[in-house]
Amino acid sequence: MTSVIETRALTKTYGTVRALDGLSLEIPKGGVYGVLGPNGAGKSTLFRILLGLIRPSEGQAIVMGGPIGDVKASRRMGSMIETPRFPPFMTARQVLVWLSTSHGLKADPKRVEAWLERVGLTGAADRKVRGFSVGMLQRLGVAIALITEPELIILDEPTSGMDPPGIQEMRALIRSLSDHDGITVVLASHQLLEVQRVCDRVAIMNKGKLVREGSVSELTTSGERLRLSVKPSEKVLQVLGAKGSMEGSAVIAAIPRNEGPALLKALIEQGVDIDEARWVGADLESVFMTETGSVQIPEAIQ
Amino acid sequence: MSMLSDAVFSEAYRFTKNRMTVFWSVVFLPIALLCLSSIGQFFLKQKMAEIGNDPRLPPALLGQGALDLGHSLVKLAGDTANPLLLLFIMIGTATLYAGDYRWETWRLTSARNTRANLILGKVGVAKLLTLAALIVFLIFGFAGELVKGMIHGQSYVFHFGGKQAGEFGLLALTGYIRVVQVGLIGLLAAVMTRSLLATLFVPLVVSIAQFFLMQSMPLIGWTGTEWYAQAVIPGLAYDNLKSAILGGAMSAVPDATVWAAAISLVGWCVVLLIGAVLWFQRQDLSKE
Repeated sequence: MTSVIETRALTKTYGTVRALDGLSLEIPKGGVYGVLGPNGAGKSTLFRILLGLIRPSEGQAIVMGGPIGDVKASRRMGSMIETPRFPPFMTARQVLVWLSTSHGLKADPKRVEAWLERVGLTGAADRKVRGFSVGMLQRLGVAIALITEPELIILDEPTSGMDPPGIQEMRALIRSLSDHDGITVVLASHQLLEVQRVCDRVAIMNKGKLVREGSVSELTTSGERLRLSVKPSEKVLQVLGAKGSMEGSAVIAAIPRNEGPALLKALIEQGVDIDEARWVGADLESVFMTETGSVQIPEAIQ
Repeated sequence: MSMLSDAVFSEAYRFTKNRMTVFWSVVFLPIALLCLSSIGQFFLKQKMAEIGNDPRLPPALLGQGALDLGHSLVKLAGDTANPLLLLFIMIGTATLYAGDYRWETWRLTSARNTRANLILGKVGVAKLLTLAALIVFLIFGFAGELVKGMIHGQSYVFHFGGKQAGEFGLLALTGYIRVVQVGLIGLLAAVMTRSLLATLFVPLVVSIAQFFLMQSMPLIGWTGTEWYAQAVIPGLAYDNLKSAILGGAMSAVPDATVWAAAISLVGWCVVLLIGAVLWFQRQDLSKE
């Protein structure tokens, strides 16, 4: 597995606060990778370090094959950190020309036009950014992340401040960047449902540490439970031991999917009357809440 | 080199889009001075008519005789680092140096270039801005002299031989370095404080403090020609260089002082620039 980002024991301290605490993470090339965590988990700090905006206190990171701050490697990636801000006297088109020049690219008007169209800002191209809504700033930020035709894009809260249609468009754009343009997208978000819909793999962070990592399907499958409507339930709980619990009148068996048939066979042999048995999938939200101890309820759930 | 030129071009592109700042830092003062000087000359001409042509007053003051435009140019070049012009140029340089902190746009540019290039790009554009502002100042100042001649009905002469051209060139260059040097104090203030206001006012406060130190030199036993006086007070170094250029061979400024003054002006620029680059290299570009 080729990785685009690799961190080893990455630590960042602000005074006595450890924003990142020995984070080791490997983000593979391709697909959409989500970084989840409650406020203060260290997501933004991680992204800022990866982009060379801040220096780590300890540890190291390799981004696009180069160490942090390696400009050759950095030029192969694009980024948007939170709601981007721009010089207020510039228009959207001027911002794109300015940053194209800054990135060593010829500001080809056709290319600029294409990116404005892709993020739905053609109509506002010649308006000063000081009058832009948060959603429009986010779109312009994404266009800027794309102007260098990068292999990797880092997006911090890309849908923050957007209305539902805007969120949907952004989700479609992120997926198409990965599926059609072959760009690896790494994003941080509070919007757990969005992450579940758009990401292929996810890392869950809490208090500066990595608490869980894997594909979305792995994480949600690992959280699956077998829900049984049975009589007598006491007998089933006896069989399951610590793996069993009651949820209303149903028994919940916390067992992996491959153990299901054996359990059902055993219950039938013991004369248990099974009305219904079905797998209840865990969503990312419940995995997130379990892993982070739901100390801080994410915005999407509030 | 190409990445440095990327930094210069992008910075220049952005700055030219900031039309208000370009106006205030480059165009406003020369236009205002031209207008004020023209009004002043009209007023003077009226007063002259009232008091009559007093033979005790020098002809140049009365607006009589031929107006030497070559001499006017040299005089203007000697005035390029005047505090008022410096203040207006600082509006532009402060915006250049502190703009990215104010608009939080470092996050858009810093990943694409080396930090040294980003700072050097800003300094490059600030130098171009200073050059443009000084050229506009000289053009409008020259126009002001032409208007003055017209108001007083003077004839024009243009004595601009090798001596005057040399004086003009050296004075303009010295003034230019002095303005860049004051601007670089702003650059160091910008990276240390991340504040636009500090970038604008710290150089002014430092210049005022140095002015008072210059006035206090006799109290501490300095004559103003010592090398350490040049090193500590670049404003004094600039004044000494101006005197040496205008005085030529007859200048009262010792050669050693001239060298110390020149080294001081350039040295301040180099030290301030290195300080700003080093500070910026280690800086976290995030408000957290």
